[in-house]
Amino acid sequence: MLKFLLALIVSASGAWAQGPMNFCTSDLETFPVQAGGREKPLYVLATETVRYMTGSDKVGEFSATEAFCKLSLKAFGMPLELPVNIKVDHIDVRKLLGMKEDQTHLPVQELTAKSDLLVQKGQEIKENNSFKKEINRVQGRLSTYQAIVGARAWTVPVLESGKVSFVPLSEFLTQTRVESAQGKGSNPVSYLFEVAKRDYLSVKGDQYLLELSYFKLNLFMWSLLASILGIILFVVMKNKIPGAVVTGVTIVGQLTAMTIRVMISGRAPITNMYETVMFSGFGALIISIIIFYFRRDILFVLAGLACNVLSLLMMKFANGMLDEGISPLVPVLRDNFWLSTHVTTVILSYAALALSWILSNSLLLRARFGTVSSADYRYEVDLIYTSIKFGVVLLSAGVILGGVWADYSWGRFWGWDPKETWSLIVLLVYIAILHGKYTTWIPPTRFVPLVAGSFMSVMMAWFGVNYILASGLHSYGFSEGGAVFLASFFAIQIAILLVCVTKRDSQATPNP
Amino acid sequence: MNNLLRSYRQVELFFGNMKFAVFIILLFALTLAYGTFMESYHGTEYANRLVYKSWWFMGIQFGMFLSILFATLLRLPLRKSLYGFYVIHAGLIILFLGSFVTYQSGVDGTVSLAPNLPSRQVQVNEDEFKIQFPARGKEVIVPLPYSAGERNLGFEYEGVKLSTFLPFAENKESWVPDKLADPGQASTKYRLFNDNFGETITLSLHPQSAYNNTQQLGPLNVHYMPATLAECFAKNTPDGLIVWNGETTGCSSPEGQDVQRSRQASGRELVEVSYEGQRLRFMPEMSPLPLDEKMELNELSQFRVFSKKLFEKTPHLFLFGKEVAFFDKATQKWEAHPAETGQEVPLPWMGFKVKTLDHRTDAYPTMVPQYIKPIQDNGQVTVGNLKAVQVEVGDKKFWVNSQEPIAFTLNGERITFELTKRGLTLPYEIVLDQFKMDTDPGTTNPASYESFVTLFKGNEGSEKHRVYMNNPLKYKNFTFYQASYFQTNEGPYGSVLSVNFDPGRFWKYLGSLLLVLGSIWHFVLRKKTVVKPGEARA
Repeated sequence: MLKFLLALIVSASGAWAQGPMNFCTSDLETFPVQAGGREKPLYVLATETVRYMTGSDKVGEFSATEAFCKLSLKAFGMPLELPVNIKVDHIDVRKLLGMKEDQTHLPVQELTAKSDLLVQKGQEIKENNSFKKEINRVQGRLSTYQAIVGARAWTVPVLESGKVSFVPLSEFLTQTRVESAQGKGSNPVSYLFEVAKRDYLSVKGDQYLLELSYFKLNLFMWSLLASILGIILFVVMKNKIPGAVVTGVTIVGQLTAMTIRVMISGRAPITNMYETVMFSGFGALIISIIIFYFRRDILFVLAGLACNVLSLLMMKFANGMLDEGISPLVPVLRDNFWLSTHVTTVILSYAALALSWILSNSLLLRARFGTVSSADYRYEVDLIYTSIKFGVVLLSAGVILGGVWADYSWGRFWGWDPKETWSLIVLLVYIAILHGKYTTWIPPTRFVPLVAGSFMSVMMAWFGVNYILASGLHSYGFSEGGAVFLASFFAIQIAILLVCVTKRDSQATPNP
Repeated sequence: MNNLLRSYRQVELFFGNMKFAVFIILLFALTLAYGTFMESYHGTEYANRLVYKSWWFMGIQFGMFLSILFATLLRLPLRKSLYGFYVIHAGLIILFLGSFVTYQSGVDGTVSLAPNLPSRQVQVNEDEFKIQFPARGKEVIVPLPYSAGERNLGFEYEGVKLSTFLPFAENKESWVPDKLADPGQASTKYRLFNDNFGETITLSLHPQSAYNNTQQLGPLNVHYMPATLAECFAKNTPDGLIVWNGETTGCSSPEGQDVQRSRQASGRELVEVSYEGQRLRFMPEMSPLPLDEKMELNELSQFRVFSKKLFEKTPHLFLFGKEVAFFDKATQKWEAHPAETGQEVPLPWMGFKVKTLDHRTDAYPTMVPQYIKPIQDNGQVTVGNLKAVQVEVGDKKFWVNSQEPIAFTLNGERITFELTKRGLTLPYEIVLDQFKMDTDPGTTNPASYESFVTLFKGNEGSEKHRVYMNNPLKYKNFTFYQASYFQTNEGPYGSVLSVNFDPGRFWKYLGSLLLVLGSIWHFVLRKKTVVKPGEARA
């Protein structure tokens, strides 16, 4: 059906006789495509797709774009085999497919041969547990592969009466179209793509290329390095100027990256988990500087940088849980004003509470394993208290703004929805601590571990609602990225608390 | 008087105490956390019934209110250092009062709009039970409790008793003894299975059973028939006809001379059968009922005729209680096998087998709602969507569920029972002119929903509105929001608007504003800090 192309191309010119090698180059990275409801450069589509299937950005020696292109041309009879290895995360699914327990990937040919097993098992399991979800995901990866090699994943812009529409590659490279391009350009297919891109640019401009720069610049990576350097400089050097300069570089880097992201998506950068993590680290740094302005203690900035490093690390390494892709919003969130004000306020409040979390844990550990004078202890307790106050004010405002938004768009101020309920729980937990501080129940030595532990409620509201509550009764396999992340966080935090609270006698004990 | 004052003072000190505040805040937080987990496991409605709308949860909230109120009263008269505190707590008190007003007299419902059909009915999320006496034009409405568990209603009206209410139920199979049933009213439970797939089916010929005598399982049609028909299905005759006499329950397979076939002008086959001295005319492709002189179906006839040929092309399985028959394409023959309880009979399709699990002629299977905690899976409540009320009239007991109303005759009078949502009637009409859904380019993901509606205000004329996300329609205290949509049989989409009337809105906004301003005042503007050791206070 599509095989004509091979013959046609091979006969057309000597250069094409070498197969798709000359066509599938990195030049295609800037080619405009439409995917997931948005227009973007092929680089972004190819990288997202290849990463989704294989968990890596490369296929063998080829970049994602080259591999995506070569695989798409298989539909037209290009005889080539790429080592595409599909990711399989769940141990039971690995067993089902006859893989070793520690084997993370399966070659796509083998998986295709065993796809009946997946279908059968998927139908057999009635409840929606983590095993079944992973079966669905592996099937999804496989069908994505099939869409690519069927030339359906790659969409090509076509100009018709002044309007650009997108068609799948399989419909774009028709016999008539290729024949009509015969003898034009270096070869007919390259010529068709050049025309398609030129047509697209003439109507829509090159705005879409911003996304290519966004991903290629990798500004968050540089900000991460700058943040780490900033912490080192602040700790090591007596002069605070170099640290301040590097911190400034971090802020500029992240601000630029977020601005570009806003320009691409056309909305505030706080609409999914990835973006809230991205914004929270930055927010913690900014809030720490604001508090620093009032309290004049570099500890705040250090805590802010530490939060920023943690969130940037998550963005870099928690791919299983956070998706960095930019996709269209669900209708209910399409209100920039409320989205910006409500979510920003809540995330900033979490950021301020994260400062208190870092400060209290660091104080706990230093008091446990080093020495902290009681005056210093009392002083740092007050610093923690300051950041909680910022957090609580911002969170009350955020929760209420959420209510106002809900009232405005759904007609109810409050509906006990899990996300709003958990944000209220966080507020209540910290309010209880603030009230308890005035009673004999919470002296400073109890205040610090309580604050450190209370951040678990923030993590529950932030991630737990999405990764534990939303998955429902039947998915407590804890095999999914988000749930594993949360469980590890809780385990580590509880371990720190146990270690620091149980053996607190002798000289390390501050006596306020 | 002094005593009274002293006990008031004690109450004030108890509820205004900081420790009580910490206690009640934590209790509230823990309850909420519990509620969110219940919501995740069992769905929104269950969590609302169990926690958020329960009396004890109201009690905890009232405890919060008392704590805030008395903490404020204890700190009177006004002290300058506590201005922020007063504003926060006043804000909270107003917020609580506003919420209480909403809870008491607010309306939160939905209105479903089919395209171009005027509607003024608002459905509120409260269940009620309607008993109607149509002949007298009388209607009794019993509000049902908003409980999470089973409740005894203890309601009685003119010999009609309502006993149990199940807010969450599933229909479970239950066998009702019926000693008087004749063998033709048998019921049987079978298991159909192969290596990968299996399903248990229940079939019944009893008129009061909740089960049918046919069932479709993928491409396979299953028919359940009286046992007396089995012998005729087993016979391989050239004509493949079976005549069944419903009165004598006997059957026969007429052949040769007794069968005459002809074609109608319409192309349909007409068959004339001589049976027990009668001549019966049939159109087997159309119906098993015989035709009368006017060539119309005679529904009163005791005879039925089947042409087995109709069941040879596609898979049809005939079950007769303890016997099984089917057409085997490989041998081109009808086969019959005994199927005693527990016995497996191989079928000629994809390795399937059938096994008789239970065959009864002295009881019939029916559906009885049983209480079950609902289960939520992927945001959908998959189990426990049914509500039911048990009704007792005279010596009869039966269930009325939320799926369909039931009619009953008592002493010659027709009574209807219905379990439904409470409705409100708007003083004006809304018509959906069009529902529009846009998708993200190149995908099927919805990008926006929009309802074009016309509001008919009686004498005041009409006006057109667009309702979409973040753009509600406000009219006379009521606000209409785009909530959902549904597909109608005719094709165009219908729209669901949520309808809301909130008299506490102003107070909630005022309280919120005070709360936020007070917090800023109290926490941020007040500077009272511990000085870093070794540094002098600036």
